[in-house]
Amino acid sequence: MSRAGHDDGAPITPGSPLARALDDFAVPDLTAGFAEKVLAAAEVRPAPLPELRRSGAGRATGWRLGRRIAIGVVGFSALATAAAATGLLERVGLPVPSAGKVWASITGTPPASVPAPASAPLVAAPADPAPATLAPVRIDGPIDTPEELGEAFRRIDEVRQGRSELRRQQIEARITREKERRAAAGLPLPTPEEEARIRQRLEAARLRREGELAERIEARREELRARIESGEALTREDIVRPLREDQRALQQQGRLERMRQMSPEQRREALRQLPPEQRRALREAWQERRAQRLGEQAPAPLPQADTAPAPEAEPPR
Amino acid sequence: MADDAALAARLAARDAGALREMIARHAGALNRIAYRMVGDAHEAEDIVQEACLRLWDHAPRLAQRHPAGTPAGGALRLSGWLKRVVTNLAIDRLRAARRLSGDDVPERADDAPLADSLIAAAQRDAGTRALVLALPERQRAAIVLTYYEELPNAEAAEAMDMNIKAFESLLHRARASLRLAFTAQGEQP
Repeated sequence: MSRAGHDDGAPITPGSPLARALDDFAVPDLTAGFAEKVLAAAEVRPAPLPELRRSGAGRATGWRLGRRIAIGVVGFSALATAAAATGLLERVGLPVPSAGKVWASITGTPPASVPAPASAPLVAAPADPAPATLAPVRIDGPIDTPEELGEAFRRIDEVRQGRSELRRQQIEARITREKERRAAAGLPLPTPEEEARIRQRLEAARLRREGELAERIEARREELRARIESGEALTREDIVRPLREDQRALQQQGRLERMRQMSPEQRREALRQLPPEQRRALREAWQERRAQRLGEQAPAPLPQADTAPAPEAEPPR
Repeated sequence: MADDAALAARLAARDAGALREMIARHAGALNRIAYRMVGDAHEAEDIVQEACLRLWDHAPRLAQRHPAGTPAGGALRLSGWLKRVVTNLAIDRLRAARRLSGDDVPERADDAPLADSLIAAAQRDAGTRALVLALPERQRAAIVLTYYEELPNAEAAEAMDMNIKAFESLLHRARASLRLAFTAQGEQP
């Protein structure tokens, strides 16, 4: 808004025609008694509402701030969980990693593969949401090439590795619990040297067990490879059954180890609780091991569940 | 004014003498602003009264935030606080009147109470009043505060809750509109 070189927004110059015109805008005085009127209104004016409860000029402090943050975090988590659970995030293009992928990223192991389509060969990823390395191996369809067999072995080894790690953690936890129990009961704790020796023995036992198992597995794998090379197609059962047998062998071995730690009365009671076939298998396994240890000597009879064991019949400690 | 904090403390203590003192000190300036904003003496008086009562209501909070004898108390300016309230009340009433009447506010001045005196005043300075009252309400407030009340731009901006740059832009537009209207009356600004 500028007229021929004039700045229409410039300050109004005193004495100018515009200023003289503006100065004519007179203001009437307030009415007489205005102050009394205000005072009277103030007297009857209701008390103002109390100020909103806000400390620090509207800023939340201390517990209030913490509570707001906690509510916000919990609310956001609930919404995010709900969105992930209902698939909303995937519909809007946000990838949601599965528990298996998260576990794989933590442990550094490759994630379990996505379940194969119907035409894909053989080995499907475990559908179990548990950590990938701990999931059971599922084998669907025949295995008829060395590559497929190798892949099956690789996945089985992953599971074995996870179980081995889990066992190691359980042993660690049991050692810790036992030390805490002894400390709480006022019992003497093993010295670091004693603890190191115990751990060394445990580790040696573990390595021995795993070595024995690995030998048996490798022997079976050789057998399976030979069957594949001869053109035979393997089924899931061909591979999983030996694993189950190994599993049973491991369980039996664990049972034997536990029984070795028991008192004769406890051992007798434990045997009594077992099903007959397990009791029989356990007895045979114990006799076998004892024979190995005694150098092919005649095995001593395993304590019967219903009779007190003779002192020489106790499993060696 | 250094003793504004003390006056606020007395108002907070419900001292009627303090309210009377505050009216004596500030009501005249507030009335000038209100009247030049709304162009109606009766309504201007209502606005000034409402501003005084709001100060009465807010005095405890003002006294708490600006204790006498402290730097915060020294920074308290009751005149600025009151001018802001009056300006906002006037703008609110102008907007409400425009919504209700659907017409320009100056056209309603003759229907107001004290119409006789207003008519007489209007006959004397009808052209000038029309100039000011024809401005949009915020431009009008900028002219009233800076030209008539001679407030520095910073204080006027504070009274209108604006930053200084925005206020200067508004004031520039207000002066330009005023000159345009004055020229339209056949005068030379």
